[in-house]
Amino acid sequence: MPSAAFLTRIAALALLSATAFTAHAQDRQLVISDWGYSNEFLIPNLFEPFEQEHDVKIVLETGNAPDRLNRLRIRGGVDLIYLTDVFSQQGIDSESFAPIDPALLSNFDDLYEPAKNPQGDYGPAVTFGQYGIIYDTAKVDETITSWEDLWRPEFSRAIAMPGFNTTSGPLTVLMAAKRVGVDAFQDPDAAFASMAELEPNILKTYNSGSELTNLFTTGEVYIGLVQDFAFPAIKAAIPTVEWAEVSEGNFRMMNTLNIAARSENVELAHAFIDWQLSQKAQKDGAVALRTGPVNKAVELSDEEAAQVIYGEEQVMGLQSSPYRDLLDNRADWETRWNAIFGQ
Amino acid sequence: MGADTITRTNRVTALAPWLLVLPATMAVFALLAVPVGSTLAESFSNPLGVFENYRRFFASDYNRMVVLRSFWIAFATTAIALAAGFFAAYLIAGSGPRTKRILILLSVFPLLTGVVVRSFGWMVILGRNGILNNALIELGLINAPLSLLFNQGAVLVGMVYLFLPLMILSLVGVLETIDQDLYSAAESLGSSPFGVFRQVTFPLALPGMVVGSILVFTGSLATFVTPRLLGGERQMTLATLLHEKAIISFDWEAANTIATIMIVLTALSLVALGMLAKRLSPKGRA
Amino acid sequence: MQQRSVNPVVAAIGWLVMAFLMAPIVIVIGAAVSDTTYLAFPPQGFSLRWFGNVLQQRSFMASFQTSMQVAISATSIALAIGLFAAYGLARFGKTIPAWFGSVFLLPLFVPEIVFGFSLLKTVIVSLELPVTTALIVGHTIICLPYMVRVISASLSSFDFSIEEAAVSLGMHPIKVFLTIVLPNIRSGVIAAVVLAFITSLNDVAVSLFLTGPGVSTLPIEVFTYVEQFFDPSVAAVSVLLMGVTIIVMALVERTLGLGKAVK
Repeated sequence: MPSAAFLTRIAALALLSATAFTAHAQDRQLVISDWGYSNEFLIPNLFEPFEQEHDVKIVLETGNAPDRLNRLRIRGGVDLIYLTDVFSQQGIDSESFAPIDPALLSNFDDLYEPAKNPQGDYGPAVTFGQYGIIYDTAKVDETITSWEDLWRPEFSRAIAMPGFNTTSGPLTVLMAAKRVGVDAFQDPDAAFASMAELEPNILKTYNSGSELTNLFTTGEVYIGLVQDFAFPAIKAAIPTVEWAEVSEGNFRMMNTLNIAARSENVELAHAFIDWQLSQKAQKDGAVALRTGPVNKAVELSDEEAAQVIYGEEQVMGLQSSPYRDLLDNRADWETRWNAIFGQ
Repeated sequence: MGADTITRTNRVTALAPWLLVLPATMAVFALLAVPVGSTLAESFSNPLGVFENYRRFFASDYNRMVVLRSFWIAFATTAIALAAGFFAAYLIAGSGPRTKRILILLSVFPLLTGVVVRSFGWMVILGRNGILNNALIELGLINAPLSLLFNQGAVLVGMVYLFLPLMILSLVGVLETIDQDLYSAAESLGSSPFGVFRQVTFPLALPGMVVGSILVFTGSLATFVTPRLLGGERQMTLATLLHEKAIISFDWEAANTIATIMIVLTALSLVALGMLAKRLSPKGRA
Repeated sequence: MQQRSVNPVVAAIGWLVMAFLMAPIVIVIGAAVSDTTYLAFPPQGFSLRWFGNVLQQRSFMASFQTSMQVAISATSIALAIGLFAAYGLARFGKTIPAWFGSVFLLPLFVPEIVFGFSLLKTVIVSLELPVTTALIVGHTIICLPYMVRVISASLSSFDFSIEEAAVSLGMHPIKVFLTIVLPNIRSGVIAAVVLAFITSLNDVAVSLFLTGPGVSTLPIEVFTYVEQFFDPSVAAVSVLLMGVTIIVMALVERTLGLGKAVK
């Protein structure tokens, strides 16, 4: 009776897999949501040491910011989430995060003032960053010195820029407005008309830093509008890629770390935030990942410091993106954006 | 056996058929009909009016364009697959048993390979450093690589590739049943090759064409991976827009509305293709 | 059936179409064994290091395990309920109207992405089921049509009077089912299991909404990977997935011939 035996075997396998799953779920774990971008470095240097110190298993969920934020809101199951300022503000607005207790963070007093409570009682900033233009110097004859250079006709389908539902995507609109001498929030018509003129040069709007690396390494584009965390990987693949020194300056960004409102590991989550704010973690990040440290006590060599936002002067002069205005105008801008880039 | 036992046996016998289909029916009801039904219902539950969500959705030029684009891509995919599929099916149906077996295996194989793998293959071919560009440059036909990905052409190629096997298998099924004598008869009556096609092949192949077209059309209307990987944000279709609204912008009203539109379009195209087949068929039935 | 002469022009175009079908697969296989850090075809050198790279990636291996777990569980459940349903439909055609059979084909006509989204809202958000359970539930439904349809087809040629005879001779109906009916529809059951298993193993659109922290299926993992990295390891995973398909196809071909399985 081969079929019956076959059925029994399948049933046994199903049972086995079910028990394997329940056994799996019993470990003590901390679920951390991040971009997944630098995990090759972060797992051995940040996460694994924490796992050993606190006898906990860290489970990572990776992806782009809105995707991860919404999964946290919809489904829960996440303890800690790394986000850029725009998205952590959205999370706060939708009551998805728990407040932070600074008393539980031994490194809190060492933070630069702007990093301490950037969004009220919620997560501190854990890194500073910037948004600017990078390009392959081997493929561009005339150096890029301004955001306006992006509109040059010879860059047809050569540029990748972040999509609308990313932190930095809408910032491009601010520069487009500046190009035609208007304020993007006052005169969105003119700002988006300027964006429409940029459209022929855009090959693809991307949603994650790794997607941009992909577009560079496959040669699909040679100019990218990018947040600095994505730069090292691209530079490693294509050594001729450089930052453009633009006359208008780059945008300054802030990345935060928040505890999910539905987290059941609040104490452990605080311990992890403190771990991330420690001098060692901050310095490692600055050196290896070129993320600007938020801890004042971190000391960098001149060479290391040149690559990141560092020091009281740079940090205090920091202009964060007008994310409040961006959030308020989001629906209108998204329609206008899609009308141009969704065609 | 007492009378009582007999009635009980009868009652069990009467219920048995329904007991057998009950678990599967319950599964489809509870896990498919209820969730999908509530998505449909929610799309009509805007307090401002039953069709308010739809009014809002269709008020946007962008959304209207996405609907039209999805429709167009599904239509073009079906038409191309139908044309290309006919040639391949002819070849297969006319081959000797050994060749036929191999060709059918080759058509089935892509069907059993995942859609991610199949779309990925086209990314390797169409990329700027891809095989096609490299070949064209080596042949001296172009100087600089062309941008072939992330446009509608790329999506169409990927879609046709995805669904061609379904069309071929549907057509082989009907072409195989056409009697060789019919061709000979038509030819001996002086029909041109095209005349034979029109008078013999087409009417007899119609059922296969309809089945194939239904599978390809509804399939390409619903596909997510191919437009996402080969088209990106510039080539949003209903499927990729649904995902974006549901997960990225967390606008579930819009997502419910798109889901309902997709189901309605699928149902309508089933009915329309069925009616078209009826009209085209000389005997008045498909 | 006698062989028919095919117009040479038609045949030539037909071969081109077949080449179109095979090209991406050949290219992916070639790129997987290329000894380069980028995707190259024709392959430059020969190396299996990208396969090694895949086997070392935590995320690929963990998601492969999830995929197998989900595919095996979903196929088993779908087989259990689908077998009963197919038997009920075929055996009691007089009691159960013919249209009732199409209830089980419904999952084929609901766009998968709509189904996945609807499951997210009900099963995950409202019922708060764990991710793996939700995946099994979703995959069971998309496997069910293959079970009911393929098994029904093979039951339709089964002569139920044999079964009745055995029962009237005093054999227990369940024993009759296991010893007489099942062995007769063995090939149909195997074909159904294989189709369902492959459907589950390859699914993206339903799983997309259901994966969660630390729990993802292999196709979803590959899909995310393709969008972010573009090295030959994707080609290597693809080849490994094709390998599973080939093994499964070879098994079906040997047991019952492929022609029957796909119809």
